[in-house]
Amino acid sequence: MSRFLKSPWLEMNIMLGVLILCYAGLALIGFTKETPEGGMSGAAIWGWLFGFFFISFGIALVAVLAGIGGGVLFTPFMLAFTQVDSLIVRATGLIVAMFSGLVSTGPFMRLGLSNLRMCIYGAAAYGVGAFVGAQGAILVAKHLGESGEGAVRLALGIILLALAVYFIVGGKKIEWPEVKRVDRFTQWLKLSQPYYEYSLGKVIDYPLTRAAILPAAICLIGLISGFFGLGAGWAIVPAQNLIMAVPLKVAAANSGVLLGMGDCVAVWPYLLHGAIIPLFAAPWLVGQVLGGLLGALILIRIQAGFVRHLIVGFMFLACFGLLTKGLNLLGVLPPTPLWMTGSVMLVIFIVVIRAIVRQARSR
Amino acid sequence: MNGGELPSVPRVQILFGEIVYWITIVSAIICMVGPLVAMLAPENNVVNPYFLFAAIFAGKTAPEVWAQASGGFPGGHFYWHHLTTGDGFTQFGLALGCSVALWALLAAAFAYVKERSPLYTRLSLGVALLVVLSAVGIIEVH
Repeated sequence: MSRFLKSPWLEMNIMLGVLILCYAGLALIGFTKETPEGGMSGAAIWGWLFGFFFISFGIALVAVLAGIGGGVLFTPFMLAFTQVDSLIVRATGLIVAMFSGLVSTGPFMRLGLSNLRMCIYGAAAYGVGAFVGAQGAILVAKHLGESGEGAVRLALGIILLALAVYFIVGGKKIEWPEVKRVDRFTQWLKLSQPYYEYSLGKVIDYPLTRAAILPAAICLIGLISGFFGLGAGWAIVPAQNLIMAVPLKVAAANSGVLLGMGDCVAVWPYLLHGAIIPLFAAPWLVGQVLGGLLGALILIRIQAGFVRHLIVGFMFLACFGLLTKGLNLLGVLPPTPLWMTGSVMLVIFIVVIRAIVRQARSR
Repeated sequence: MNGGELPSVPRVQILFGEIVYWITIVSAIICMVGPLVAMLAPENNVVNPYFLFAAIFAGKTAPEVWAQASGGFPGGHFYWHHLTTGDGFTQFGLALGCSVALWALLAAAFAYVKERSPLYTRLSLGVALLVVLSAVGIIEVH
């Protein structure tokens, strides 16, 4: 039997088939039906739905290649460059972050790379933090109006700037952390679970430590993630690695599972308050599932160091948009002219291309 | 211990992963079909998609977008009464995907009971309870 008729290619092909049929049907309706007065045209709706799916698919692929969550790209860009209300964007951002994690759960669990015990232990803390963050986002949106919108964009711009710098510097992550002493609490939790490391061709059994500290850190990360709809892979991986000495690869695999599980708690306040609009969120969800799955299946094998430069470039651009829009909403700056955004985009593009060329030459 | 023997992956872990994986895929397929159903019969939706997208891209807030539905926002679980509408069906797909951890954790808790691991049975049930409380809207900060 052809490998394309076996899992995971089988479900991938079924999803692609359904997707093509649905978008063809949507195009037929969109371009032929009459638009009611005051509504958006059917063709434009089709364009948005297809565009959302396509961008989400791209974000999921790039995110898999770069080893980060999709929410880090989605939320800042939508807030910086569209008119869509910030609560709707952040709620949809949580869907993006969550489903990129959920779709990777099956393969990571099957391989034994993720550690379910660790994920359940971390998800309890993350869920509480992200839930409170989501409630805070709704509270701010209800009471602070346009100044709240500005403050949210400004705060996210600052966070994104810090993240982009962190991505450049690289952080202090250790691939195989050494544990000198396993404390009693961590021992009692029985979290360690050996896995087969294909790149080394041997089984790795990793001791862990300081399990008591991890929930506090993860709860704080969840709070930021739930409030901004940002995802949290960028923080959960180093937290596990540096606090509990989880090997980097296991920490990355755990982070997707943990986010998927924890965001199931955080996403409901948004759903129950109507901040997640089903027809707006659906194409983003589908793009994450298909893109994440395809990325995990085929693209993970290619050398893709250049993607990291692209993402940092995107982050700086989104950061510029967020800071200027935030300051504009707060009445500090006039609206940013298009030529200025274009110039910043050009400068960032040149710097990114230079970095990619330099990396390619050094190889 | 670093050796060459292939360690077996715990069954509870595989069970958890499979449940999450397949429900996520079903949820994605529902979210593909939902918008098509919504556009096929735009009047048969909680909010007509033509006006819905116009409102979203005009920068309107979520309550303002839902204000176009008769009676405003019908509640997060509105799909129970609107499963045959395009947006109701799509919301069902979203809700299914957003509750996936609950089903997987319940199965994991059951498997941990069989493994005689009371700590992780309790932790699994605890996180599952958090999902339930969040989904029914019992806990609210405001």
